[in-house]
Amino acid sequence: MTTPLLKVELLSKRFGGLQAVADLSYEVGDREILGIIGPNGAGKTTAVNLVSGVIEPTSGRVTLMGREVTGHKPHLLVESGLVRTFQSTTVFAGSTVRENLKRGAFRLLYPGFLATLLDTPKARAARQQTEAHVEEVMHWLGLERVGDQVASSLPYGIQKVLGMGIGLAAKPRIILLDEPAAGLSAEETDHVRDTIRLVRERGIAVVVIDHNMRFITDLCDRVLVMAQGRELAHGLPKEVLSNPAVIEAYLGKRYAKAQH
Amino acid sequence: MTKATKTGLWALGGIALVVWPWLTEDKFLHHVGVLILLTAIGASSLHLIVRTGHVSLCHAAFMAFGAYGSVLTVMRLGLPWPVGLLVGTAAAASLAAMIGPIVLRLTGKYFVLITFLIGEVVRMAIVENVALTGGSNGIFNVPPPAEIFLSNRAYYYLALAFAVLSIGLCARILGSEFGRAMNAIKDGERLAECSGVPVVRFKVMVFIIACALAGMQGSLMAHYNKVLSPENFSGIISLNLVVMNVIGGMSSLAGALIGTVFMVMLPELLRGWVNLQQIFFGAILFATMAFMPGGIIEAARRIGALLRTVRAPAGAPVARPGAAE
Repeated sequence: MTTPLLKVELLSKRFGGLQAVADLSYEVGDREILGIIGPNGAGKTTAVNLVSGVIEPTSGRVTLMGREVTGHKPHLLVESGLVRTFQSTTVFAGSTVRENLKRGAFRLLYPGFLATLLDTPKARAARQQTEAHVEEVMHWLGLERVGDQVASSLPYGIQKVLGMGIGLAAKPRIILLDEPAAGLSAEETDHVRDTIRLVRERGIAVVVIDHNMRFITDLCDRVLVMAQGRELAHGLPKEVLSNPAVIEAYLGKRYAKAQH
Repeated sequence: MTKATKTGLWALGGIALVVWPWLTEDKFLHHVGVLILLTAIGASSLHLIVRTGHVSLCHAAFMAFGAYGSVLTVMRLGLPWPVGLLVGTAAAASLAAMIGPIVLRLTGKYFVLITFLIGEVVRMAIVENVALTGGSNGIFNVPPPAEIFLSNRAYYYLALAFAVLSIGLCARILGSEFGRAMNAIKDGERLAECSGVPVVRFKVMVFIIACALAGMQGSLMAHYNKVLSPENFSGIISLNLVVMNVIGGMSSLAGALIGTVFMVMLPELLRGWVNLQQIFFGAILFATMAFMPGGIIEAARRIGALLRTVRAPAGAPVARPGAAE
């Protein structure tokens, strides 16, 4: 088997007496969508924070395209091709959609301090290419009509898509989405789901976290179920849905017994 | 406004700045001109720091480093002023490089408090170090950069050159991709970092550049005033620079410059009412924060937009105030 794009081995995080994440391992291949699901407090967001460098793991290893990146700062991970979105503060609220995306494309736009001050040919070339890329991202996420609007004036569902766009503007190989459908209506959730599929079609791998079982099983190639910081089940959506331990965690013991 | 009118206005403004000192023989007016230009260097460099989301209350401490570094180099070592200027600027930049990486990890009120303390520590160090700095008596008979600069009018042009250079640098930084990253940091540090911006490194870079410019201003100020005293660099001076940014408008460099003109000219105009000055300032500051948090520049934008709505036929698109930059 070829090296996976992202490999997480025995990742753990302890906050004082609380074991937030314990011995979590998973792999994500090229163009794969991995879902991480679990009830509130299962450690899903911590699992993303550990991989994206927002917090440092207590132990374990993260490997990106064969290179160890455990504990790297977020801006270095962006450089290496891994971006993430946030559950709540997802966009630069006071800026236009286009400006939001340009800020997301920092890695491509910034040619170095002196080069940007002097506006060297290299800086100008980077700007032209990135401007084209930003327009492309807008087109592909269906944001071109709202390009000049201030982000805070957009409906919440569109802001969530813009949040993804900020990550995608950096031309990543893999994107980690923290509850992209939280607080959205059914219709908006479908739009977000379709957008994530489009992202994969562009050759970008996706790790998506949510607690909405239908959303995750609809969307993902593989699903990892977490409970109390640990892996409860891991496999194809079908397998996971029929796993008694998962049914028990989600619906209670009695329901699990009645099924069998 | 078309591009041609804009260029025309800039050229006109430039010519006015160069020509006006010859329209009057009043040395006092030349003096106010010098003060505005030199203070503008400090206010615009502080504006850079403000634009990364930090309000520094120790900008005057870096001016002090620039001023004492420069004056001591010239008076003790007998070296020419340009060397003094470089030494002073480098001294301020080094101090910033040492404390920046530590204090810039603090945010909001904690950053304000620690910078206030740093300002006091530097001032006390100057007061206590009598052998080197002359203590609270200060240093007298500071020589001008050159004989010719004994005239206020000549010094005005020296100040103009340095002000144009340093304000130009600030404007260029803010208008570049680096400036875009600064805006991202100010609007959402975590999101900026996850967009690939090395947040702390950029903040430290801005801090060093801004403090170096403050050091430069310190040198220019000291050799102009010809006396140097720790009181020139007290917390009040730092606070005044912050106030210039606040009443002008924190969101644009032009705001900092308007605030500078306002804050330097006002005391000169109110000379007859020295006792009332501070009360007047306080009232203006309160009014600004209560009624126009965007400062003078934002108020002007709003009025401009309002005039356009009145003039434009109903339903025509109107520029949104505050949307620019």
